[in-house]
Amino acid sequence: MSAPLIELKSIEKHFGPVIALSGVTFDVKAGECHCLLGDNGAGKSTFIKTMSGVHKPSSGEILVDGKKIAFESPRDAMAAGIATVYQDLAMIPLMSVTRNFWMGREPEKRFGPFKFIDFDKANKVTLEEMASMGIHLRGAEQAVGTLSGGERQTVAIARAVYFGAKVLILDEPTSALGVRQTSNVLATIDKVRKRGIGVVFITHNVRHAMAVGDRFTVLNRGKTLGTAKRGEVKPEELQDLMAGGKELAELEGSLGGTI
Amino acid sequence: MRKTLTAIAAAVFAVAGFAAPASAEGEKFVLISHAPDSDSWWNTIKNAIAVAGDQMKVSVEYRNPPTGDLADMARIVEQAAASKPDGIIVTIADYDVLSGPITEAVARGIPVITINSGTVEQSKKLGALTHVGQPEYDAGFGAGERLGAAGAKKFLCVNHYITNPASVERCQGFAAALGVELGNQMIDAGQDPAEIQNKVSAFLQSNPDTNAILALGPTSAHPTLAALEQSGKAGNMLFGTFDLSGEIAAGIKAGKIDFAIDQQPYLQGYLPVVFLTNLARYGVMPSNPVNSGPGFVTKDNIELVEKLAGQYR
Amino acid sequence: MTDERIKQVSALRRAMIRPELGATAGTLLVFLFFLLIAGDSGMFAPAGIQNWTVVSAQFAIIAVGACLLMIAGEFDISVGSMIGFAGIVIAILSVQWGLPVWVSILAAFVICVALGWVNGMLVIKTGLPSFIVTLAFLYILRGLTIWLSILTTRQTIIGGVKDLVQNDWLAFLFGGVVLKDLFAWFADIGLIEKFVAGTRAGQPVVEGLPMLVVWAVVLVIFGHVLLTRTKFGNWIFASGGDAQAARYVGVPVARVKILMFMFSAFCACVFATCQVIEFGSAAADRGFMKEFEAIICVVIGGTLLTGGYGSVIGAALGAIIFGVVQQGLFFTGGESSLFRVFLGTILLGAVLFNTYIRRMITGER
Repeated sequence: MSAPLIELKSIEKHFGPVIALSGVTFDVKAGECHCLLGDNGAGKSTFIKTMSGVHKPSSGEILVDGKKIAFESPRDAMAAGIATVYQDLAMIPLMSVTRNFWMGREPEKRFGPFKFIDFDKANKVTLEEMASMGIHLRGAEQAVGTLSGGERQTVAIARAVYFGAKVLILDEPTSALGVRQTSNVLATIDKVRKRGIGVVFITHNVRHAMAVGDRFTVLNRGKTLGTAKRGEVKPEELQDLMAGGKELAELEGSLGGTI
Repeated sequence: MRKTLTAIAAAVFAVAGFAAPASAEGEKFVLISHAPDSDSWWNTIKNAIAVAGDQMKVSVEYRNPPTGDLADMARIVEQAAASKPDGIIVTIADYDVLSGPITEAVARGIPVITINSGTVEQSKKLGALTHVGQPEYDAGFGAGERLGAAGAKKFLCVNHYITNPASVERCQGFAAALGVELGNQMIDAGQDPAEIQNKVSAFLQSNPDTNAILALGPTSAHPTLAALEQSGKAGNMLFGTFDLSGEIAAGIKAGKIDFAIDQQPYLQGYLPVVFLTNLARYGVMPSNPVNSGPGFVTKDNIELVEKLAGQYR
Repeated sequence: MTDERIKQVSALRRAMIRPELGATAGTLLVFLFFLLIAGDSGMFAPAGIQNWTVVSAQFAIIAVGACLLMIAGEFDISVGSMIGFAGIVIAILSVQWGLPVWVSILAAFVICVALGWVNGMLVIKTGLPSFIVTLAFLYILRGLTIWLSILTTRQTIIGGVKDLVQNDWLAFLFGGVVLKDLFAWFADIGLIEKFVAGTRAGQPVVEGLPMLVVWAVVLVIFGHVLLTRTKFGNWIFASGGDAQAARYVGVPVARVKILMFMFSAFCACVFATCQVIEFGSAAADRGFMKEFEAIICVVIGGTLLTGGYGSVIGAALGAIIFGVVQQGLFFTGGESSLFRVFLGTILLGAVLFNTYIRRMITGER
């Protein structure tokens, strides 16, 4: 595999006396799905926000394409090709799929002195992008509220991909979904990965992670406990790591001495 | 969907039930006032047009802008003209606002009689047949003369309808009769009784040398009386008010109110209906305007008035 | 990988999921009702049509501003006070200070739009609900209006504007009448009655199309196109639908909302200017309760009180329903106090219907 698209080294983040992250090392390469596993309160949210430019790390460094970088705002991260799909999706249910898809970046066409949204183009692209993710919509004008949870997730992913994401951070995309919806989303992740985008898949569900992940990193109490490749680790082990109940010695072997 | 339909249907029945005019026989007239729904003084005029309607066998509709907004009133006049009644009775609450709609009604050949607010000159300019009312400035002046003779020096004018120019004229006439500037002696009392009472109390506390009060109608007179009673000044304060009500009549009897200026609103409702009916049927109309007031109701003539106060007086 | 369980949506259901639907049905019903009950009362004669058209147009002007602002997720209940304030400003500047009317009108617009900006800034910067901020301005502006007019004229009504507006180019844009020749021709062929007495004998009872109506139509079209066809319109929906989600994708939510407050103030000023020019006077109580009437029009028109969904066309239909019912009750000779009963009922019906529509859209049960 090639060099990492983004690399985070020994990231620490303190909020006053509270230590939210105490040494996180993580990277993602083009065309892979790197799963970040952790129980609630393990520091997943803080870590996502650090990677997407919402928080600045207290110490440690972030490298994009091998170069050290400091994100001042989410906008900087977006400009660097790092897109985040949050759990609440940032979708507006009452607005149409097209309007949501293009929100903030509407395509325009000129009509005399006025500029209007180019709905022909917008609808066409929306339908195409959704179709390429495996979702065939009845019409791009239907409200996002009529879509299922998995479809909404796909709109958000398709949107990020269309607008040039190199790294896609997915925050618990499957946590609120049923079995079938989940498999749709996992299939979408696979499609995105195959386009050469690096996917960061955050979840606390080991089975979902195992289904699609290339590498697995476990986060516990603000620390990464190590990274394992696909096939090097069993689901039960990941589960135990998340819970933090196993002896370190026991883990060392299975994780290849990366602790 | 069904809910909207149900709502509309309900309203349809409600309206249909009330749509029948009071008297189906004879001519149709419309009386348009400037008073908001909350103004109880106009009940006398509503009663008067009901009596006149029964006697003359005509139907008279009463209309008013619900919030007292004169621009809305202008629309009502336009609407009345468009419905082609046999006559329109209207107050000249503001000449500028109403001159357009009223002259248009006249130009459409609808007989118009003006009542209550406004002057005889304005009425003539609008092309109205006659005016039945009380000259406001003169009425205020007359009140000022009476209280001035009784020793009024510094006064308070309680104005509950400050947005009507006629109301301000009353206070100005009163001040002129006392030979003083109106200045800040007029307060914007608002329509809420508790507010009016508190504003009057506050004014009297901060201006203890005030020895006379003019209230512009029952809306301001009742709370003012309450304020005076609360501070123990009732009876010791020169107190005149416009218009009558049951409470004002009682106040006059008890010596707490010196007089009420009676513009005899009954006549303002009754006479125009009679005039318009006779004009429609026999082509006759008095040639002079009618001054329905001011008449002063004092302790001496209160007995007569009291029985009918609030209904026909 | 289509989810085959998604039902095919019928044409009827698709037609239902439009914000204007309730208002369209309501408008038809209202017209049907009054045609049946008041068809011969002059309500649908030219002068009658002008009467309710003008009233509806007035409502529409302030409803457009309220509609866009509500879709952007905010309220402005200082609109009514703003109308009174703008009128008094025009009257004081032109009658008392002797400035040309067009200067006075422009000054009023500048002041009102600036006040709209203040409203918006306060809402954005303090994070307080706009209901509270504009409620404060409802009182502040009404008080200032009465104080200013008493201060300058010792009256709460300032007349004399009518004499000044003759030949004023800007005043014509607000108080003038267009298409006079067309209406004169209508009168000649007997479509419109003529005055029979007075100085205007022989002229048609409806002189032409009042500029007030032109303003209403222009503002409705502008608002509709802005909302549904432009990038900025998409931002209005987004700001009201979910401000946080809109910010995530780079929509300048604060700017959108502040601009909408300014537009709402602009509409109030249009209303006030038309009124002052037409009636030749300004009064401190003008515009009383108009803020609620505007909001009622908007809600009847299918816009959600919570923002993010609605239609300017719907608001315009709401204004027509409002105007036709208000004036129509007079034509039927109905008890006018029942108008409020009707209004409350239709408002409740509209809100229930809108809630139902939203459930259909979002798929909630």
